[in-house]
Amino acid sequence: MADSIQSEFVTLVSCDGFEFIIPRSAACISGTIRRMLDPTSKFSEALSGRCVLENITGIVLEKVCEYFMYNEKHKDQANVADMEIQAELCLELLMAADYLDT
Amino acid sequence: MTSYPRVQSSVRSALTDFLASNNISAAQIRDDYGRRVADAAREAAQEEEDADLDMEEPEYEPTPEPDSPEDKAKKRKRQQAIEKIKKTKEFARRKARRTGEPDDDDDTLANEMVDEKQRPTPGQLENCEICGKRFTVTPYSKTGPSGGLLCAECSKNHVGGDKKAPPKKRSSGIGRRQNQSALLDGLASQGAQSLLETCIKKVAENISDVEEFGDLPPPVMHRLSQILARRRAITSTTLDLFLRPQNKEINIYDCAKLGTDDYHKILATMPNLTRLNLRFVTPMKDRIFQYMMDRNMDIQDLHLDSPNLVTDEVWRQLFTRLGPRLRSLKLWNLDSAFDDETVEVMAKNCTQLQRLKLKHLNKIGDKALETISTMKTLQHLSLQISQETTPEPLLQILTELGSNLRSLSLEEFYFVDDRLLELIREKCRHLTKLRLAINAELTDKAIANLFRGWSNPALTFADFHRVRDVDMANPGGPPEPVGLASDGFVALMEHSGARLQSLNVASCRHVSYAAYEEAFGEHKRYPELKYMDIAFNGVVDDYLAQCIFRCCPALTRLVVFGCFKIRDIKIPRGVAVIGTVGAKLTIDGITQKELV
Repeated sequence: MADSIQSEFVTLVSCDGFEFIIPRSAACISGTIRRMLDPTSKFSEALSGRCVLENITGIVLEKVCEYFMYNEKHKDQANVADMEIQAELCLELLMAADYLDT
Repeated sequence: MTSYPRVQSSVRSALTDFLASNNISAAQIRDDYGRRVADAAREAAQEEEDADLDMEEPEYEPTPEPDSPEDKAKKRKRQQAIEKIKKTKEFARRKARRTGEPDDDDDTLANEMVDEKQRPTPGQLENCEICGKRFTVTPYSKTGPSGGLLCAECSKNHVGGDKKAPPKKRSSGIGRRQNQSALLDGLASQGAQSLLETCIKKVAENISDVEEFGDLPPPVMHRLSQILARRRAITSTTLDLFLRPQNKEINIYDCAKLGTDDYHKILATMPNLTRLNLRFVTPMKDRIFQYMMDRNMDIQDLHLDSPNLVTDEVWRQLFTRLGPRLRSLKLWNLDSAFDDETVEVMAKNCTQLQRLKLKHLNKIGDKALETISTMKTLQHLSLQISQETTPEPLLQILTELGSNLRSLSLEEFYFVDDRLLELIREKCRHLTKLRLAINAELTDKAIANLFRGWSNPALTFADFHRVRDVDMANPGGPPEPVGLASDGFVALMEHSGARLQSLNVASCRHVSYAAYEEAFGEHKRYPELKYMDIAFNGVVDDYLAQCIFRCCPALTRLVVFGCFKIRDIKIPRGVAVIGTVGAKLTIDGITQKELV
């Protein structure tokens, strides 16, 4: 992947090997991922467009990606309802959200 | 009451003839008639008693027989029923509820209601529309595809096909309450909330099911504690989630549901505590403080709201034993203990104290203020005491401590005068936060003088709410303005505008239109101003509000209670405007007419 032209999509990989390919703009809602992918950082993630998130499971990462898309979809609206989150997932998701700075 | 059945009976006789010619059993007619008369009598009685109550209509068509020659009569009866129903309150109510929907038509609605009325009432027997089985009608019986009722078995199977009506489109009136509530919380952000915040809310909702937080980071725990406190959900059981032996701080903003033993539990399970921040701690008693002293705990920040059962004697012991460790002390709402003498012990022993906040303490007065002036280490001082005090002790505090102070908040010192402002100007060089609120002695001239050529750098926080003259007989105020008025306001904005983040000039009603025009002129910019309260500054109108939006690009909250000249404004993105009444608000190009 040429680093001069950034791909429109990035790949997020969970610790158990699930891959999620989502638009770069959506993934960059997360401060952590944004900094990982920042081309000036010269991190390997920035060069490859592939972030391996070692501490997030596939189930949680799926929900995180869902949130990224949800956020992207509603970014210009006022009074957006909160996204549905299953109660059993919310503590894990909370930790992930804290780590990802979203 | 007696005339009504008689009228009915004359109608009945004509009908009886008609039906008889159609070979319909007279016995049945008689039975039906009997029931109808009884119903009508009951109805009339009810009508008299309680006009509001929805009454049971008599059954108009006891034996529905499609395609029989009685159709005409049936139709007429139905028409009558429809006319009657249109006059009822229930009809008006339903109609109001449905306005705006596609099937918004009087006749459709009335027809529906007639059908409903004709259905067997709960308790009666009916044949199921699908399987034909006889069953007892209940209020929960479902309607089948062609309008009849279904038995329990069939309703269950039918549910799948019976699609839920699509969620109703909200009219502007509904949801307004939630919107206003969010506004008051300052949430005017567009787009979804952060995932973190959403999760925290969700966890708070399901707090009773949570067994363990795992290793949540302290800032998240803090936020959770705030949300739970706001929902009043902190009890002995939820408290356990916050008790972590290795943590050094605990913040519980609502301890109203905790008992004395719970405080014991906090101190016993968290031996490393350095920061104890508990609010509404009613059942906190001497023995909790004793325990703190016995264990020689290393408390540096002690923030307690209303520990009223702790006696003066134990307060003094606490300061003697643990005073030298304290870095910050914040106390609110004490009325039965904590007197001037305790303050003296505090001042003598708390040799490292940097922050002191005493709010609504009943038993301290001038003497305590004099004592506070000896605490040379103080950098942040916030006082609001209930007794009336003289200006001199405060002047003494400023003389002694002024040069060291980073923040100063003095509320409800009614007798403080311009000498205080002169001292602030003379002594303070490091202030970032200044609150002088609720006073009617300070003059505009002195306030302006404070800010003109003051060698203190720009403030980030300024609060002068309710510093104004109050005289019913002279609403315009004295010729020499008292309180924060035009000149003082302009001087304040000139001095601190560049760094100011929070400004509160609520009720400073002598600030003129011209002063606002000057402070928020075309080329003025207040790049950091986020929060602004101009409630009851009656001069602010639509034009000035737009000027404020233009000059404050970072603004997130503008409080405008009682600014009745704000009628029609365009609110930029991300700004919460709180307190408009009946104004036309245009947010992001979308006009919202406010309902009053």
